[in-house]
Amino acid sequence: MIPVIGLVVGIFAGLILQPTVPSELQPYLPIAIVAALDAVIGALRALGERRFNDRVFVVSFISNVVIAAFMVYLGDQLGVGSQLSTGVVVVLGIRIFANAAAIRRRIFHA
Amino acid sequence: MVEPGAPQRAEGLLEQIANTALDDDYYVVRAGELAPSRKFNTVLTALVMAVFALLVTIAALQTRNDRPATERERSTLISDVAARKELQADREASAAKLRAEVETLSASVDRFDPAYENLRLQAADEGASGPGIKVVVSPNQFGNDKGRITDSDLQLLINGLWYAGAEAVSLNDQRIGTLTAIHAANGVINVNYRDIAPPFRVIAIGSSESLQQRFEDNPAGRYWAARQKEAGVGFGVTASSDLSVDPAPKGRVNIRHATAIEGEE
Repeated sequence: MIPVIGLVVGIFAGLILQPTVPSELQPYLPIAIVAALDAVIGALRALGERRFNDRVFVVSFISNVVIAAFMVYLGDQLGVGSQLSTGVVVVLGIRIFANAAAIRRRIFHA
Repeated sequence: MVEPGAPQRAEGLLEQIANTALDDDYYVVRAGELAPSRKFNTVLTALVMAVFALLVTIAALQTRNDRPATERERSTLISDVAARKELQADREASAAKLRAEVETLSASVDRFDPAYENLRLQAADEGASGPGIKVVVSPNQFGNDKGRITDSDLQLLINGLWYAGAEAVSLNDQRIGTLTAIHAANGVINVNYRDIAPPFRVIAIGSSESLQQRFEDNPAGRYWAARQKEAGVGFGVTASSDLSVDPAPKGRVNIRHATAIEGEE
C-alpha cells in the first residue's frame, strides 16, 4: 500500500509545486522517464514472479535514469544526440514491451 | 547439454534484449546481510515511486505549458513564410516589369535615328571619317618670338575651319568638342587638357575642295597667309578622301547645365 501512496504523493507534489525544469536539463527528461518506466515495469514483472527486491528496484531505477540521461548528454556533445536518444528509446521500449508481455502472460495465462 | 557459462547460440541483438528484459539482479539470490527483502511494501519502494510520479508529472506539465509558446512560434513562422513569399512574388513581378521596360528602352535605343546620329557627330560624341583636309602648322626655323605658334593662332585656324564648313575637327588627335579649350599654359599649348607639341596637325572632315577654298577666302585663311609671309611659319594643307577623327573625351561632351524638357522627343 505504501508504494501506491508514494505514487499519489509524487503526482500531487508535481501538480502543486509545479517545479520548472532548467532548460539545459529539459532534453534529458523524456529519456529519463522512459528509463524509469522500464525500471517500474520490470519491478512489476518481478513482483508477479515473486522475486521483487526493493534494493534491486532502487538501484536499477537510478542507474537506468542516470545512464539514459548520460547517453543523451554524450550524444549531444558528439552531435548525434537524436540518434543516440533513438537508440536508447528502442532498447528500453523493447524491454518495456517484453516485460509487459510477461506480466500479461502471467495474469491472463495467454 | 551446453556447459554453463558457454556462449549460448547466437541471437539477434534485439532478440537478446527482449529475452533479458528483466534485470538479472532480480534472479540472483543473495545470502546474509544482502539477502533479498522480498517485500514490496517498503518506504524505499514508495520513495522511488514518488520520484517516478514526480518526473512524469513535471514532464507532462512542462509540455502542456510549453505548448502555447510553441504554437505561437509556429504560427509566427507560418505567417512569416507567407509574408516572405508575398514579398518574393512582388519582387519577381517588379523584376519582370523592369525587364520588360529595359527591353523596350533598349529596343528604342537600338533603332537607328539619323537625326540623333547627326547630333552626336556635331557634339563630337562620335568618331567621324570621310574626306577632308589635313593642315600641318609648325614654327619657323629661326626660333624667334614672331615665328612661334600660339594658342590664339590655333584657335583662329580651327574657327576658320569651322567657318569654312568643317563637320568635325581634331587637333593632334584630340577632337574639338563643345567644351574643348585650346590654351597655353607655361608656354605649352594644351587641348582637352592634354599637352601638345608642334608640329600641329589639324584634321577637318568635310568636303575637301570647298573646305580649302572657303578657308583661304575667309579672315582666318588670310591671317594664316599673312603669318606665313611675315614670320615664315610652316603651313601645309593636304586634301584627302580618307581621314578620320576620334570622339572627344567623355568629360568634354557632358551636359552640365542643360536639362531635357519632359515629353520632348
